[in-house]
Amino acid sequence: MKAHTVKTQTADLFTAPAPAPAPASAPAPALRLPTPQTPPAPRSTQLWYAVVFAPPAPVLQRLSLHAQQFTSLVSLEAPNALLLEVKGSLKLFGPLEHLQALIDARWRSLGLQAASAVAPSTLAALWCARAGKSLAIEDPAALAGRLAQLPIACTAWDADRLQTLHSMGITRLGELLRLPRAGLARRLGPAAVLDLDIALARQPGPRRAFVARQRFRERCEFETEIDHVAYLGKALEPLVGRCAQFLRERQAGVQTLALKLRHRAGPATQVRLGLASVTSERRRLADVLDQQLSRLELRAPVRALELASGALQPLSAVSLDAFSGFGNAGGPDTAAQLVERLRARLGEHAVYGVSTIPEHRPEAAWRRVHELQLDAAFAIAADRPHDAMPRPVWLLDEPSLLSRQEALQPNGWILEQGPERIESGWWDGKGVARDYYCARQARGAKLWIFQERHTKCWYLHGVFA
Amino acid sequence: MGERQCAGRKPEPTPLGAPEGREPGMGERQPSSLVDLLADARVWKLKDASASQRLSPSRPVWSTGSSALDARLPGGGWPTASLVEVLIDATGLGEMQLFLPAFVECQRRADGDVPWLAWIAPPHEPYAPALAQQGIELDRLLVIRPVTAMEALWAAEQALSSGVCAAVLLWLKGTDDRWLRRLKLAAEAGGALGVLFRPECHRFESSPASLRLLMTQGEREPRLELIKVQGGRPGLVDLGAP
Repeated sequence: MKAHTVKTQTADLFTAPAPAPAPASAPAPALRLPTPQTPPAPRSTQLWYAVVFAPPAPVLQRLSLHAQQFTSLVSLEAPNALLLEVKGSLKLFGPLEHLQALIDARWRSLGLQAASAVAPSTLAALWCARAGKSLAIEDPAALAGRLAQLPIACTAWDADRLQTLHSMGITRLGELLRLPRAGLARRLGPAAVLDLDIALARQPGPRRAFVARQRFRERCEFETEIDHVAYLGKALEPLVGRCAQFLRERQAGVQTLALKLRHRAGPATQVRLGLASVTSERRRLADVLDQQLSRLELRAPVRALELASGALQPLSAVSLDAFSGFGNAGGPDTAAQLVERLRARLGEHAVYGVSTIPEHRPEAAWRRVHELQLDAAFAIAADRPHDAMPRPVWLLDEPSLLSRQEALQPNGWILEQGPERIESGWWDGKGVARDYYCARQARGAKLWIFQERHTKCWYLHGVFA
Repeated sequence: MGERQCAGRKPEPTPLGAPEGREPGMGERQPSSLVDLLADARVWKLKDASASQRLSPSRPVWSTGSSALDARLPGGGWPTASLVEVLIDATGLGEMQLFLPAFVECQRRADGDVPWLAWIAPPHEPYAPALAQQGIELDRLLVIRPVTAMEALWAAEQALSSGVCAAVLLWLKGTDDRWLRRLKLAAEAGGALGVLFRPECHRFESSPASLRLLMTQGEREPRLELIKVQGGRPGLVDLGAP
């Protein structure tokens, strides 16, 4: 669409683009609608306040929090500018001049040097602020005229493009706007033309809104030092309760928690908790914290506790038990709760699942799985094809070499099944060439043994249990 | 189900001329909240019903896959919600083949949620292709590798009592009677089958397990002996019979 516009239009930028011709395949309208004779005038329902801070560049995220008291839509422009949508704020904060002065005063009170401007489009406001012109433009039709005086450096385009313009003898935006559109697109690239369109409020310029990151973080100081883990658990209870409340109010859950125990001297003890799934339930949070605390050995008495949540994650809707909140009617655990409790005490890697890999070499045909499928809704997969030859329930970590006596005992082994030749893996340097047999020992154990084809040695690799 | 409901729902008949000092019933004191109402012992909750039903003696049994063994077990298969002890010194005598068909059966037959299997401290790596071949649902198998025996027992107790696992297998060198009793209680609470593999040297210790088996190497084939069968007769089992 963009390329099409650029190619077909040769008129200069001040005349608005002609309406696009109707596609030939469109059916003829039954009703003859009046076609607009005049192209739509540039209009904007937004009003943007831009502020550019003088170096050194401040932390924009922190300033955004200040800006959010004036408007709900704040956007960051790295490295040193903020954009605020203020159309909706005019009703509350009075006329535009008053609002602009109010916001400017906020930056001054923070000790920051800043230049601001207000315009109906994001880029126009930004460019004015960069140029240091404290303009307040409300009418979109007046944009082209007001922007004409700005130096082209305020666009913050890359050096190549500015150099091209400079060599063309263009120093002001007005001179740029007078050039033919197609030639401009060819010389500067379509992105520059789009920028100009956005600045003149002919094209929408969507911005990503700043959303403050939310965390639960609360601290609890003790009057006396606590030197026993059991008391810590008690002291944590209200904190966990408030954390669960905080999460419930935001319809969110967490998957990680961090607990910090501060001592009189020395570094604080950090405890990190991971949950098997996103949750906001007080009982589960408390459960996992209890398990972690029971493993903890205190180096020194604790003076303060700090509980911080990880990033909030949206909670998927599940139906809750109406009665589980009352009394001690706990209800049975879910698989996620069980796994999480086991992992909290035994360690993250002590609990895992296994899965098969389609591969001929026995030792490469399986793997451990640490991301378990813990959701309740689960359907049995269709029968997968399996090897026809039997496989042992237990596989040794490493094949163990059978001594010569063991291997050559005349009636020590009865080869019940085999050989099954497995010759594979030459491509990754771990090639095998083996003949596998199911063998029964004289005394009853059924084993999986193989003979290495090159060395003729016998190995034990598995046990049929 | 309906009969149970009636039995549970039937309220205590309140005599008309109740003495003054009697504890106030629901008629006199309006329950102030749902909490009070639920705390009342006379209120019958559906959740209790399902829990008690799980513990009822008519629990399902799982066929062992061997008719000779089934015939010797009370109910004709492995009892669920109980502890089974297998005394075995070496692995490889076909001890897993006694249980795997039952696990496959229980995972297949489950409607809706497929129950989990937990294997705690197995002697070797459970070989996924073999289990898949036998029909075990690998996505519902949990392998747990604790460091110490205490952690293994704790994990087994958690898994048994959670109600998530259909069966919990635990390999141990040795443990005391007190822990076995805890495991048995956990198995009953969670409705799971607990299987404990221990060396043969524990044969003459007392055990709360409802079923104790001894597997040893025989002349030609492994020998299976029932040492203790609650509600059955101990003795040798001829596994070779079809």
